[in-house]
This record gives sequence, C-alpha cells and structure tokens, in this order.
Amino acid sequence: MEEDIPPHNVAELYQRSASLYEDMPAFATRRKEFEWIPVSFRELYSQGLALATGLIDLGVEARDHVGIFGDNRFEWILSDYAIQFCGAVSVPRGRDVTDEELIYIINHANIRVAFVETEALQAKIQNLRSQLKGLQEVILHDPDGTVLEGNRSFADVKALGGALRDRGDRTAEERINDIKSDDLFTLIYTSGTTGKPKGVMLTHANMVSQMQVIPIKLSCTDRVLSILPIWHIFERVFEVYTLYSGSCTYYTSVRTLGEDLRNVEPTFMGSAPRLWEGLHKRIMDGIKAAHPVRRALFHIAYFLGSQYQESLFYLRNNHLKMEPEPFWQRVPLWIANALRFILVIPWYGFFNATVLENIRLVTGGSLKATVSGGGALPLEIDRFFNYIGIPVLEGYGLTETSPVVAVRTEMDLVIGTIGPTVQDTEIRIVDLNTNEVLYPNPNLPHQGRGMRGEICIRGPQVMKGYYREPEMTDKAIRDGWFHTGDIGMMTFNNCMKILGRSKSTIVLSNGENLEPEPIELRLGQSPYIDHCMVVGQDQRHIGVLIVPNLESFREAGIQADSIDELMKDPTAHKIMGEDIRTQISSSTGFRGFELIREYRFVPDAFKVGDELTDLHKMKRHVVASKYEELIHELYSNGASSLK
Amino acid sequence: MDIETQLLYPSDQIILGIMIFIIMFGMGASLTLNDFRAIGRHSRGMLIGFLSQFGFMPLLALGLAIILDLSPSLAIALILIGCLPGGTTSNIFTYFSKGSVALSIAMTTASTVVAIIMMPLLLELYSAGFVQQIQSGMIADGSSQRDFVIPTGDIVGSLILVLVPVIMGMILRRRSPGWAKTVEDTAGFLAIIVILYLLVTVLFRHSALFLRTPVEIYAAATFIGLFGILFGYWVARAFRLPPIFQRAISLETGIQNTPVAFAIILLSFTDPILSQMLWLAILYSALIVAVSSGVTLYYRKIGKFDWEVYRNTLIHDRLFGEDYLTRYPEGFLPPRLADPSQGTIPRLLAEKSRA
Repeated sequence: MEEDIPPHNVAELYQRSASLYEDMPAFATRRKEFEWIPVSFRELYSQGLALATGLIDLGVEARDHVGIFGDNRFEWILSDYAIQFCGAVSVPRGRDVTDEELIYIINHANIRVAFVETEALQAKIQNLRSQLKGLQEVILHDPDGTVLEGNRSFADVKALGGALRDRGDRTAEERINDIKSDDLFTLIYTSGTTGKPKGVMLTHANMVSQMQVIPIKLSCTDRVLSILPIWHIFERVFEVYTLYSGSCTYYTSVRTLGEDLRNVEPTFMGSAPRLWEGLHKRIMDGIKAAHPVRRALFHIAYFLGSQYQESLFYLRNNHLKMEPEPFWQRVPLWIANALRFILVIPWYGFFNATVLENIRLVTGGSLKATVSGGGALPLEIDRFFNYIGIPVLEGYGLTETSPVVAVRTEMDLVIGTIGPTVQDTEIRIVDLNTNEVLYPNPNLPHQGRGMRGEICIRGPQVMKGYYREPEMTDKAIRDGWFHTGDIGMMTFNNCMKILGRSKSTIVLSNGENLEPEPIELRLGQSPYIDHCMVVGQDQRHIGVLIVPNLESFREAGIQADSIDELMKDPTAHKIMGEDIRTQISSSTGFRGFELIREYRFVPDAFKVGDELTDLHKMKRHVVASKYEELIHELYSNGASSLK
Repeated sequence: MDIETQLLYPSDQIILGIMIFIIMFGMGASLTLNDFRAIGRHSRGMLIGFLSQFGFMPLLALGLAIILDLSPSLAIALILIGCLPGGTTSNIFTYFSKGSVALSIAMTTASTVVAIIMMPLLLELYSAGFVQQIQSGMIADGSSQRDFVIPTGDIVGSLILVLVPVIMGMILRRRSPGWAKTVEDTAGFLAIIVILYLLVTVLFRHSALFLRTPVEIYAAATFIGLFGILFGYWVARAFRLPPIFQRAISLETGIQNTPVAFAIILLSFTDPILSQMLWLAILYSALIVAVSSGVTLYYRKIGKFDWEVYRNTLIHDRLFGEDYLTRYPEGFLPPRLADPSQGTIPRLLAEKSRA
C-alpha cells in the first residue's frame, strides 16, 4: 500500500480509500440470499465524481445544502460521495420523515437540490411543492420508480456528469481541493423536541477526528453489516470508518437480518440495544425449545462463562467501581478471583469450545466486537453477550458530538459503563444547581470521581453549532463546553457511567427521541386522568403512569372507592383504554412511536411536596424512583394491554 | 514401574466401555455421507495427512520407546497410540485453530476406516521386537503358560466393534439431525468426563502411582502428541499446502482417538500388561488436551491473518458468485499468501462450506 497521509476532510478520505483499496468491494447490496452486488472503491469514487459533476451542472455550489431523504441503500452513499465532491453539505433524513419536518428542514436549510429514495417520498414532496419555495431539483434514488415531470432520475444525473467528465470537466477535483476542514460536512436535523427540529452543524474536522476513536481496527478482510438508519450520525460514522479502513459494508434489513448474519459473517457492526434484545430473545427461544440435555449444557456453559468473565474483569480492574476500592480490600479479592479463574478455566475452555461457540454462530461466528449506541443497553442483555463471549462495546454520544464521546474498548470493558472518553476529548461533570465543576476537581476527594452531575464535553467532535439558532447554540456550548443534558459520573476506574437525563426527553431503544410533555398535556384533557407521566427511556415503546379521577369514573357508572378497587374493574380499563386511544392517535397529530401501548394506575394520588412541586409541577425523577417497580412491571410482560 | 494390582476394577471397565460406546456414537452422529465424499476433494491434503498419520506416527512411537528405554508392554502401548486413527477431538481443536475443519473431518473419517487394516499391520511390524522381549521375560520367570503374541484378531474385532456405534450414530444423524446434535454435544462432554474419571479413580486407588511413574513415561505421553503435531505442520508446510490445511494436518496427526485405544486394550490384552498399557493411554489422553490447547492458542495467533483473508475471500465467493475475483491491494498480502501455490488465491481454495 502507498504511504498513508491522514485525510483533512471527508472528500479526501473518500479519495484516499479509492487509491488505497482500488478493486476491493466497498459496498454490497442484497438481491437474493446468495446474490449480492458488490461495488468497488474505485467504482464508487468514479461514479461519485460523475454524479458530483452532474450536481454541479444542476447548479449545486460549494457549501450548498443538499437534501437526502431516504434510508440505507447504495444510492444513498453514492449521493453523499457526490455531495462531498461538490464541496457541498448533505442534509439527511429518513424515509419516515413527516410533512411538517420536510417543510421545516427544506426551508430552514434552504435546500435547492434534494435526493428522494422512493416514489412515495417523491409524491409527498410534490404535494408540498407550493410550500417548498426554494426547492428546484428532485432526484429519485429508486431505479425502478417512475420519475415525475420536472424531476430527474439518479441515472440521468450520473450520466450527465459522466459525459461532462469524459469531455475533460474536472470541476469536482477543484471543489475538493477547496474544502476547508472547518466547512460543514453534514447538517443533521434532530427529531423535534419542543416543536421545531434543530439542525446540527458537523464539520469535516468533526468527522475526520472520529476515525481515530473507534475501538476496533478494521482492514480489507473485514465485513461490516449495516442495519441502523444511515441518516443517524451513529451509523454514518461507522460507514465512513468502514470506507476509511477498506472494509466492505453489507446492507441488510430487519427482515433478512438472521440469514444475513449467517451468510455475511460480519466481523464488526454498529448496533442498538434493540438488536441485542432481539438476538437475546432468539437465542433464549432456541434454548427453551432444545432438548433438556442441551439446555442443561447451555446453563452450565453460561454459568462458567459468567464466572470466567467476572474473574477476568476483576483481575483486569474492569469491574464496575462506583466507590473507591482501598488496597487492603483489593488484594484479597484479587487473590480470590485469581483462584476462581484457575479453577474455572479448564471447564470453561471445554464448554466455550463446544456450547458457547455454537451460540455465537447466531451472529455469524466471526464478530470481533460490536459497538452499541443510541440508548442504554439493559444490564442483563449487556452481561449475557459479554458472558457468552461476544464483546459488546457500549458507547455514548449525541448527534452534537459526531457522535462518539466515550466507548468501551477491549482493554476497558467495564459492564454498566460506557467506557473511557476517547482521545483528545475532555469531560466535566458539573453540578446541575450550582454549576460547580465536580469532576475533575482537585479539591474534592478522588478528583470528584463518583459525583453525579451533568456531563459536559470539549473536544474535536463537538459540533459547530445549531444552524441559524445562535441562541440555542450559546445555551448548549458555554465557554467551549458542550452541555449534554445527560447525568453521569466518572467511576473509579476512569469509565463514564450514565445515570439519566436532566431534560425530560425520552429516548426509545430504537433511537427515537420524544418529548413527554405534549403527550401528557393531551392526556391531561381526559376527565378520567388527574395526573400522568409518560415513561419509556430505553424501552421499545412508551407507557404511561396514570393517577385516575375516581369522580369521573363514578359518573361513568363505576363504583370504586379507591384506586385499588378501580384497578380490578375490567370496565374501568375498557373506558381508560378507549379514552387513551382517542386522545393519542395519528389523527390527533401524534407519530407512531408516540402512541401509548401500556399504562398503569398509580395507587396513590400525587402530593405537593412529594411528587409535585409547590407550583404543581411534576417531579419526574421522584415519580420514576417511587414507582420504579411499577414501571418495570409495565415493561416486563411482553404483550401490550392497548392494541 | 510396576502396577501390582489391577488399575481398573471390572466395574470401572464396564463404565468405561459404556462411555466409549457413547463417545463413538457421538462421533458417528457428527458425520454424514458428504464427509466421505469430501475425502475425494482433498486428495493432496489427505495423502500428506495419511503419510504423517500412518507413516510417521508409529515410527515416532517406536523411536520414543527405544530412546526412553520403555518396558516392552509400555512400548507396545505407545506404538498402539501411534497407530490410532483420528477422532472428533482433533476436529474441535482444528476448528478453534482456524484450520480446515472439512479436511480434518475427512481425515478422521478415512483414517477410522483404514485403521482396520493399517493398525494390526503396523502394530505387528513395529512391536515384533518388544513381543519377543515379553516372551523371553515370561520364560525367564517361569510365568509363561502360553506364548505372548499380539492379539491381531482381537484388535480387528475391537476396531469393528467400535465402528458399530459410529454407524449407529450416522444412522441417527440421517433420521433426526436434532437428536444427533444432542448426542454429539453430550458425547463431547463425556469425553472429558472419561479422562477425569479415569484420572480421579487412579488418584484415589493408586495415588502413589503418579509419583512412582518415572519421568520417561510422562515424557513419552507428552512427546508422542507434541512431535506428531510439529511433524504434521512441517510436512504440510514443506509440501506447500495452504496454512489452513497445515494446521488441520498438524492436529490430526498428533491427536489420536484414545477411546479406540481403551477399547482395544480392554478387549485384547490381559493383566498385568493391560493395566500398564491403560495407564499410558490415560496419561496420553489427559496430556494431549493440554498440549493441543497450547498449540491451538499459538495457531490462532499465527493464523489470524491468513484465516481472515481466507474467510473473506470465501464469503465474497459465496455472495458475489464464483466468477468474482477478490483483488487485494498490492502489498496487502505477504508474499507467502500472494503466491498462488500457497492456495490463498480464491479458486484454489474454494472450499465450500460442508452442507
């Protein structure tokens, strides 16, 4: 290979990969189970240049914002190549974008040229055309779709640019040379929190800095399976990293994931908690259905795996340390764990080889590790996969931090944490009320390790700001420190632990963000509800805790003197269920993941001074901790009570 | 070293017999007719493997017996171990060494069948000198009631007997793959239990035996496996086979099917020779696991890169079609792997997954 110069921007990174990896496959698209179409780095690069030249001909200027509305497919990454080669900025959003979001994003970002993935999206934009004044060109990704009058097909734009390049057009190369590392690489609109989405400005420098922090080194012999939505920064950074490393990305889908894992045998993948929950369920179902002898063998193997890994964690100082561990305590425990390790290893060796290896085949059998992000991994799931020998490296980050701030590495694999902060990144834990820096603080014992507060970050990955929102930017980035809104602490082995959020935003396990207040406000209009709180952080769907209004139920003919009695009345549940469905539905303006799937009555009314402030504002963390068990129970039975 | 009393009581021998039956049943349950067909596909590797398994190993056993000056009955036991076919243990170690499991299975299958002829033949040939020593010893102390000969008929008989559960296992596999998998896993677990059971039994009944066993015997039990592994590796390397085949042949050569040895010893010999032979076989089966584990860790390390290249090329072949040629960037593959005769260039190696 040629001498390696680290790229300054993403366009250069794409160029570098083409010259280093040439004919190796960069992307593969599935046609049938055993029929995939590869595209080489060289092809990707030359097609990218052709498309870029086509875009320039359509009038795309350097630093223009170009929309990509759609999900993972080869045309997506090719569009991004082209946009980078124009020196322009990609503004991505998934296939499930709503009308309001489309109008807001296209107008706010001043998008003149946009790619759309499907005919349906094309039609959606066509209907909104009168509200999208600036939008001039729409290019359809789907090669089988019909292009509407006035729009363009992907192939045509590529052919147009290809013809120009054949005649010696080299504008794209000039554009690439002109890119500054402070220029925007992408503008990502995060899901609407309080009303309008925020455009996160990420620069080339942000993205390039991330290439150094991914904890697994990849090469030409690696295969990466892609399942998470590409327009989320988390999946995107892995795709850019895969391109940077010369590995091949294989696009899969939820429907075909099982067989694709087997056939592609990925060595690495970006993943979300949901994926691991799904795989865990699949493994456990298989074991339940297995012959009792094999089930017993599995349980022995799992037990030995847990003993082996736990002693290894302790010996390597990788156990969760939320409190300081004095020397006199560590020495005997270290010896005990060393003994346990020696005792377990021969048995573990056998069971690892015969039983656990077969379980690991569910992910193809070649997985070196995987980074999980986009939500907290439930502890049982986290343990399960690490015990059976699939290292799950949980990471942490936000769109605003491009995204990786901290991630576990093979050396620092501490279950229950998100690992140490990545290189060149500084972290602070700040007291929410006093704004005092708790960590690192030389005046506090242990520099402030173990103290809870808001996580603040300074480093090369922190965004340039929110697009056209200087006030919001100033609120988020103060004195160079980005305030995440997440509560965390630094453990005693220098790993970060996330403890919750200071904002009320709920992040579901599939990565969707939602604000509970609008839902609670709407539910509050119901005569049957006195108070309610929406829950669902890191869960698949949201649920709600309800303080019912007994009076209204009585008027509806249900004689219940206490909430306890009400709970047992099936008619009451019928009324409640129907009422929730009328209040929160797509026709009242709520999105699919905002619909309520579960609810529970809370046994006692909220009281001022306890769950409520003097101003009758609900204290979320109080409710959450008081009814922890109820919330847990709400999510523990798989079936939904509201269909 | 003398073993005054019986090493195993008849009751232990029955338990051992049942365990051998189950282990061989499990081995059969892991085999399909395709494994026999695969033998033809790997003719070169098979031939080299055969050479080291039946050519080198008995010679190595004879050499070690002479150099370490073993007693005649132990020498015969060592030669017996040297002549054994391969077992499922070698397949598991090959898998974890990132070697060719298909070749390992094909070699195990072929050697198990061939052993019916080769084992008695080789045993007869190499142990002739020791048989005479035993005879003259017996005549000298007057204990001889009859001539000591290698019980060739009994050995062939035990080998055929051992094949019965293997064939039964194969039938099970054909009828119900689910059950076959259960039997395979259970048998794998039992194989470890057997070794431990034997070691612990000896430890409790004849605890002094461990100390009284001279170091030559430990050396013989260790080196027969270790040298076999080393020889298999170097001979496959000398014949320029691809690295995944080198590792498979290496482990297949050194790791023998000890349950077969137990069966032959129990069914064909009588005490006091039986106990002495059994003791060496027990020591070998325990020590080979340790030796192979060490070798496997080493092979995983040195084989990491070539395995990843092989695997990646194989998957390209599987997903992009047979006509797809993976062109690694210039300089990415070390000369050893870039050399087509080393077989990492896809077509030569397109070892299809065992269907």
